[in-house]
Amino acid sequence: MSVLIVIKPSGTKIRVREKTLLSDALNKAGLSPGLYCQGRGVCGKCAVEILEGKLPNYASGEKELLGRLGLSDRHRLACRHVAESDLCLRIPESALPGRISVVEFGPEVALPFEPTVKKYAVSAARSEDDVSETDNLFRRLGAASLRVPLDVLRKGPAVRKRSGDLLTAVVAEERDLIDIEPGDTTGRVFGLAFDVGTTTLAAAAVDLATGRVLSRNACLNGQTAYGADVISRINLVLEKPGRAETLRKAVLSDLAGLAETVMSSAGIAGTEVYAAGIAGNTVMSHLLLGLPVESLAVAPFASTFTSLPVLSPSEAGLRFLHPEAPVYIAPNIRSFIGGDTSAGLVASGFVRLKGPALYIDLGTNGEIVLKSGRDFAATSTAAGPAFEGMNISCGMLARTGAICRVEPEGDAFRYLTVDDAPARGLCGTGLIDMAALSLERGLMAPTGAIATAKKTLPLIRGLSLNQKDIRELQLAVGALRTGMRMMLDAHGLRSRELKAIFVAGAFGSRLSIDNSVALGLLPDIPASRFRFLGNASLSGAVALLLSVPARRAIEETARAVRHLSLASQPGFQDVYISSLKFKKWS
Amino acid sequence: MERDELLSKMTDAVINGLPADAGELARRGLRLGLEPTDIIDRGFVPGIRRAGELWESGDYFLPELVSSAEAMKAAMAVLQPEIEKSGSRNEGRSLARVVIGTVEGDIHDIGKNLVAALLSANGFEVHDLGANVSPERFLDKALEVDADFIGLSTLLTTTMLSQRRFLERLKETGHRSRFKVLVGGAPVTGQWAADIGADGFAENAVAAVGLCRKLLGERP
Repeated sequence: MSVLIVIKPSGTKIRVREKTLLSDALNKAGLSPGLYCQGRGVCGKCAVEILEGKLPNYASGEKELLGRLGLSDRHRLACRHVAESDLCLRIPESALPGRISVVEFGPEVALPFEPTVKKYAVSAARSEDDVSETDNLFRRLGAASLRVPLDVLRKGPAVRKRSGDLLTAVVAEERDLIDIEPGDTTGRVFGLAFDVGTTTLAAAAVDLATGRVLSRNACLNGQTAYGADVISRINLVLEKPGRAETLRKAVLSDLAGLAETVMSSAGIAGTEVYAAGIAGNTVMSHLLLGLPVESLAVAPFASTFTSLPVLSPSEAGLRFLHPEAPVYIAPNIRSFIGGDTSAGLVASGFVRLKGPALYIDLGTNGEIVLKSGRDFAATSTAAGPAFEGMNISCGMLARTGAICRVEPEGDAFRYLTVDDAPARGLCGTGLIDMAALSLERGLMAPTGAIATAKKTLPLIRGLSLNQKDIRELQLAVGALRTGMRMMLDAHGLRSRELKAIFVAGAFGSRLSIDNSVALGLLPDIPASRFRFLGNASLSGAVALLLSVPARRAIEETARAVRHLSLASQPGFQDVYISSLKFKKWS
Repeated sequence: MERDELLSKMTDAVINGLPADAGELARRGLRLGLEPTDIIDRGFVPGIRRAGELWESGDYFLPELVSSAEAMKAAMAVLQPEIEKSGSRNEGRSLARVVIGTVEGDIHDIGKNLVAALLSANGFEVHDLGANVSPERFLDKALEVDADFIGLSTLLTTTMLSQRRFLERLKETGHRSRFKVLVGGAPVTGQWAADIGADGFAENAVAAVGLCRKLLGERP
């Protein structure tokens, strides 16, 4: 028996088997409800309003949760109920799909331009003597010897037949001859860079002949439908090993889609993509490559790999590339400090700073790196998903319609949204602005207690922050602040001595420095010492392709950075508790 | 009058989380000839209860709660030796014994530390085993101190399974009925507690105190 579900506001209709979980039905309709708590019925993000049809009885704890979120008695959690009969339901505005905003790159950093793959046009004429085909080619390339796949040798005569005077050799790292092509195609040599984030994926098409980035795009990581954070993804694998393949396929299919978008806007074909660079956090790179993640789930949180050799497209699952294209994976530094950080450190030029300087990546897992003279240390801190709006009642990712900036206007507020679309929720940067303004206006105490009569901080009609939202923000800010404070303490440094703070992460330049400083999220140092990197991970993935020296530097950096474990530091708890108050750094 | 004023100052010192004041007020109470148990029950306990209420209403957050627990601890450090000296109510002083720890595979212990501090501030005898605690250690300690409660904490969804494993172990060894097992931590829900057959679940440290009281048949 099947039942019909009508999903408002789009009016999408979907037929599913009776007793299908509503969240599965939404997923099937392409309207992923966002099971941030992994369907445990505690986050409330999958709440839907039952407009018509049988209203199921509340599951345990559901009524209280929905009440706390200010939802009506016709709301139910999609992860807790099955479709018993035909239904018409409404999903919240903030759950509607929206374009993920493409995160900007940071300021250009001069890296030595030495692309991983180069093309050489050489004479297609055969040698006069009895020198072998390969030796003839090596001679013309001025190389002593190159590794050559047999397939390339096999097609030699056919290529020569189709070549005029010239044929083109495609050479990776002056070591591997990966293809030969008829005629002169030296102008068409491209690479693809990928940032594999827990929440969003980003890609860029790069011209390896000129070093220019031709196009870029971003999308939601399809794995988010299975869980918001890295731990919940690992947990899925622990519960059912087959899920590792589900997660791998989800991200690979998204990467293929992104690749198609950036290749088509740059006007290039997959066979012209001769190299790929991938940077992602430790868990994402493990899941992408189908490597075991079990040991990352329990103390002492060891990863399967730090550095990997160059992979082939088929090993990496990126079959849309040229079949011999080298695939570079940015090396992980330590369990929860991944290739996104090692690559970003080099691409942003942070590694060349004398310091003392901090590099911070604001996300669910906040990475913090300190450079002070020759000292180079990193730590990670569990900020939770508040910056991504996930455990905030009116929170959402920085997608179309998210309020991303809030500024004072008289006694009221004025705000900006992503894509200038009608407001439908608040993303991390908007949340920070809101909290800082409320603090300044005395609507919220430095302890985080909301001082208004209704205990809410209204922004616009239908959108307000409640006490629990503020508490979630305090936990996130406190975690980051603790990490920075302990990192500085461990090196006997004071925040004022910091010459620079590099800020990486999805926030990009939308993050207000003043408001972050007012809340204590960032140290109180002159604004000129901050630098926003935007998507440093994607810049890092581009660097893997455009600069062999940078790629070596990334490998060296990953090995050179010391790891500081926060939880094992004396005084961790005291620093954390005292960091939970909203106040400027002293 | 002076007595009542002093007792209410004690209450305030705990509500406002002032350990030095709390210690000093406890000493002043003793100098005035007040019974240590009276000082605790009428001066300080109302303070920690009020702090719990302020937490529940959302006015207090972790720093305030921790300060209140620390003030309580400072007062108890002054009063406990006096009680032991006089021998009055020495036996009945502790509400119950709790063995608590973060489960195997998990090293996050701030939440567990808060629960331990609050239980202790509310008169429970707490044995904190720290983090990454094996089922064997939990059981050995609980048997050794003849615990009433065993509290299992975890922050990660991945290590929640250790809570189930402990309960299974408890059953296998035939000790299940001897202890009340309570579970907590960010990913834990009431449903999970019921699924694995725990005796109770609390959302946070204040709720944990209420839960223990309830299970003891006391006023929550």
